[in-house]
Amino acid sequence: MSLKSHEDGPIDEVAAGTTVYVYEAPVRLWHWVNALSIVVLAITGYLIASPLPTVPGEANDHFLMGYIRFAHFAAAYIFAIGFLVRIYWAVVGNHHARQLFYLPVTDKVWWEGLFREIRWYMFIEKTPHKYIGHNPLGHFFMFFAITVGGIFMLVTGFALYGEGAQAGTWSHTLFSSWVIPLYGQSQDVHTWHHMVAWGIVVFMILHVYTAIREDIMSRQTMVSAIISGHRTFRE
Amino acid sequence: MSAYETQGFKLDNSGKRVVVDPVCRIEGHMRVEVNLDSNNVIRNAVSTGTMWRGLEVILKGRDPRDAWAFTERICGVCTGTHALTSVRAVEDALNIQIPENANSIRNIMQLTLQVHDHLVHFYHLHALDWVDVVSALKADPKKTSALAQSISDWPLSSPGYFRDVQNRLKKFVESGQLGPFSNGYWGSPAYKLPPEANLMAVTHYLEALDFQKDIVKIHTIFGGKNPHPNWLVGGVPCAININDVGAVGAINMERLNQVSQIIDRCIEFTEKVYLPDLTAIASFYKSWNYGGGLSSKNVMSYGDIPDHANDYSTSNLLLPRGAIINGDLKHVHEIDLRNPDEIQEFVTHSWYKYPDESKGLHPWDGVTEPNYHPEGPNFKGTRTKIESLDESAKYSWIKSPRWKGHAMEVGPLARYVIGYAKGNPEFKEPVDKLLKDLGGLPLTTIFSTLGRTAARGLECQWAAHKMRYFFDKMMANLKAGDSATANVEKWDPSTWPKDAKGVGFTEAPRGALGHWIRIKDTKIDNYQCVVPTTWNGSPRDPKGQIGAFEASLMNTPVAKADEPLEILRTLHSFDPCLACSTHVMSPDGQEMSNVTVR
Amino acid sequence: MSTETFYEVMRRQGISRRSFLKFCSLTAASLGLAPTMAPRIAEAMENKPRTPVIWLHGLECTCCSESFIRSAHPLAKDVVLSMLSLDYDDTLMAAAGHQAEAIIDQIRKKYKGNFILAVEGNPPLNEDGMFCIHGGRPFIEVLKETAADAKAIISWGSCASWGCVQAAKPNPTRATPVHKVIFDKPIIKVPGCPPIAEVMTAVITYMLTFDRIPELDRQGRPKMFYGQRIHDKCYRRPHFDAGQFVENWDDEAARKGYCLYKMGCKGPTTYNACSTVRWNGGVSFPIQSGHGCIGCSEDGFWDKGGFYDRVTDIKQFGVESNADKIGATVAGVAGAAVAAHAAVSALSKARSGESDQSKGGK
Repeated sequence: MSLKSHEDGPIDEVAAGTTVYVYEAPVRLWHWVNALSIVVLAITGYLIASPLPTVPGEANDHFLMGYIRFAHFAAAYIFAIGFLVRIYWAVVGNHHARQLFYLPVTDKVWWEGLFREIRWYMFIEKTPHKYIGHNPLGHFFMFFAITVGGIFMLVTGFALYGEGAQAGTWSHTLFSSWVIPLYGQSQDVHTWHHMVAWGIVVFMILHVYTAIREDIMSRQTMVSAIISGHRTFRE
Repeated sequence: MSAYETQGFKLDNSGKRVVVDPVCRIEGHMRVEVNLDSNNVIRNAVSTGTMWRGLEVILKGRDPRDAWAFTERICGVCTGTHALTSVRAVEDALNIQIPENANSIRNIMQLTLQVHDHLVHFYHLHALDWVDVVSALKADPKKTSALAQSISDWPLSSPGYFRDVQNRLKKFVESGQLGPFSNGYWGSPAYKLPPEANLMAVTHYLEALDFQKDIVKIHTIFGGKNPHPNWLVGGVPCAININDVGAVGAINMERLNQVSQIIDRCIEFTEKVYLPDLTAIASFYKSWNYGGGLSSKNVMSYGDIPDHANDYSTSNLLLPRGAIINGDLKHVHEIDLRNPDEIQEFVTHSWYKYPDESKGLHPWDGVTEPNYHPEGPNFKGTRTKIESLDESAKYSWIKSPRWKGHAMEVGPLARYVIGYAKGNPEFKEPVDKLLKDLGGLPLTTIFSTLGRTAARGLECQWAAHKMRYFFDKMMANLKAGDSATANVEKWDPSTWPKDAKGVGFTEAPRGALGHWIRIKDTKIDNYQCVVPTTWNGSPRDPKGQIGAFEASLMNTPVAKADEPLEILRTLHSFDPCLACSTHVMSPDGQEMSNVTVR
Repeated sequence: MSTETFYEVMRRQGISRRSFLKFCSLTAASLGLAPTMAPRIAEAMENKPRTPVIWLHGLECTCCSESFIRSAHPLAKDVVLSMLSLDYDDTLMAAAGHQAEAIIDQIRKKYKGNFILAVEGNPPLNEDGMFCIHGGRPFIEVLKETAADAKAIISWGSCASWGCVQAAKPNPTRATPVHKVIFDKPIIKVPGCPPIAEVMTAVITYMLTFDRIPELDRQGRPKMFYGQRIHDKCYRRPHFDAGQFVENWDDEAARKGYCLYKMGCKGPTTYNACSTVRWNGGVSFPIQSGHGCIGCSEDGFWDKGGFYDRVTDIKQFGVESNADKIGATVAGVAGAAVAAHAAVSALSKARSGESDQSKGGK
């Protein structure tokens, strides 16, 4: 396979029907586990800030808020462990497994690709570039939403979790003890945890849309690629 | 200008200047400068509020439902009264009707404050102006016991009890660490009580200190804490549940019993300790009738304690409403807080800026823009080291509010004078009785420092009984099946008009208090507070008229020029609250220039 | 001049040596210390003169002083007469003017490095500090001079600790908390508007008893009283976990004492002892009396949006908004943009498909 002209750059010539193995199994598994945990985190997070209507009856007959918070914390642990495993795989996996964790900001070709991609979405470019891995625009958003956003959510999330877990627990020692003083108080940490969560939700909307769109418009497989790991170029 | 006449006082600032800064045992920061003539009589007085916090500026753009919490922090001594005034202003602007129970609870809380504040003021902020702590050491506890038992059947009155207190005091003084009693004016000829009366008063100083913490538990039950209990626009935050499941999570029978018991103790302490002490002390000072100031001329009260909810008309207010001018007790004038020509604030002598400073502004159109600028030909010192202020220029952080152009005195004495003038027996009879008990003094005796202090004591008793009245009223209402405490129809800002303005008023322990609010697009557009100490502590106005503090010091002889005991005594009789008056500022001071209070 | 010790004071109040030692072991137990600490407490109390305290007032409302005298255990009178020597406090002291100021000088000289400076309120820095004038001078000068000779500083209340109401936006006087103007002394923050009376007296008696400052968290607050949130120990917590909330004032849920989370209660973000120590001798605390916590012991609590909002406002966006409103709006816009973009894409794909066909249609 001599497709590779530039690691993060576009590929020029590729025969229709060419298939490349891009996403290794751990990456694919992580993607879907991660997607699911984010959905759970977003919904339960929203319900923690704006709870469901009051349930009637004795308090000890119910644990609704408790279950919602449990789901949030459980999903958060899955998200966190998945994130750590994913970092490990970035080290041992293939080139594409690393893309998520850096931006090739010194790479002129990458920047040209980014602007071309923006023009493509503005319907100025007639044809899109083809990429084996992430296209530069997707790469850019993924880095900020998943890597930066994910780390922010983990740090602030565990800081808030540590407040309830109390001083002396690992989450309090590792996170709450410095994150809360950094913001001055807990209320602001909640607010920003909330803000960034919405940022990730917006990213997810765009991510799903562009994936499906490019699957159709760019004539390369997107959706099936993250299921099977193989990307097929259709023309 | 060295001498001129205003409001019947001849002001002359040619004598030696004495400065007292800080004035202690008040809320906030205050400075006073006086000129003494060759006989040590005060011929000119200048009072200065020395702090500003800018709350009105801070309130702009905020949610009107939150305003009570901000304004409550204007003052932690008269805690709650600003909050009540604020929720009333918002309710007035938005036309919100509160339930009867909420009215009763609010009144009980406001009256709790009156009782607490008057008691703490008398014993802990004011008593040391009349009572010589060191002289108490010389008392014979047996004589003190006899004195105490002759004026009251309060059980804590045995010779042994007073001896214990005296011993404790003795050891305290002998320790050499005098704490808050350090550098007092002990032994001054201005103290007139015999040792046994001093010992009784000091003992009750300590008893009152223990008791006051229990009075405020009423605030804690209804508002969650004290100082600074919680309030609510549209009612009160505490729900009542007498019968049903979960009552223990609300105001229930146990809570109400606790309130009821505290009310009984308030009545008892006021009648068996406070009033007898007051009468006893007054009997030794009745010839010292200085400090009347404006009280015999111009007094004002907005009225408070609405009997029925949502009716703030004069006839429904249990504390009297009205104004008296030029000492004409036959005419009690109606006051209108909404009329732009009645209440106006001037800043000609205050460290604020107005577009046109010759005119006063009604609070709805009020401007609070600080402009610190000590100046004038007689100003001595520097910008940050004031030696002596010049009253012909700007000299205070307090504005000058005027009612129809008159400087007014407000407070318990003003309320009693107005109640008396109206012939209301609740106010007239106790005054007549006290004057009779003191040996048939004429009515004019009340226009004095002592009169102010006495009115506070009488009002404390009145307030304690009114707590009982509203408690019983609330219980009757609960019995009739009405347990509502809040009206939430207009809780949601989307139900509010685009523009609204309102005024709320109360009678704070220190006097007439008003908040004026303008609401625009659900946010506060303008907020102004005109508070009792702004009225009483106001500096001069464009016409050179002096405020109540300044007037009250006029023509008072001072026993020792370097010990400002008489000055403190008269100023304290107003119970000054400087953090309030300066719209959240606070002054302090100490200096002296020409002569010294050293 | 003899100087009485704490022990002597207790003895002459009629407390026997036996009771005194018992008191010491109870004190040790109540502070969570090993029984072996009791003799140390006893020794400290027997040998120390009462520590002088200078209590200064800056921009404040005196609610901290008022709270202090509400202390039920120990009683305020016992604190002032027997435990410490409150030599300067403008709210309570007999003297005024120069006689008052002279006390500060005396204490500074006589007890240099050995007195406690208690500060209520804070110094304003605008107008050269003259928004708060003390003896004709800016309060900040008096504060700095006095602090220079103090052993330690207690910042009473949210004013001294964080700035509180006068420092709320736009902070017109530039009111500044003590730790931002004094850097070379240990500062113990006891925040709250006001702090709980018994917490105030406990902190000060801890210092007198153990002759050390209490263990502080990273924000300078005693861990023993500010280590947990009100939410963590709230008696309404079971209703929170069950999902039972007050939905409106005086509704059925309010009358049953359900959780006030939806009414904007800041208990989950506020570190204080209200839900355990409670107020005024343990009578109640805000949540028990039906109003949510407003977070008065937290830094900047005035500027975190309305007291009745759970999701707080974010002022940085200019217009009043909160994370949910902003987030939902942006997500909505993103959704609409996606739909529009998809429509245009479909259209352009259809067109290019047609042209492809026409081009390639042989």
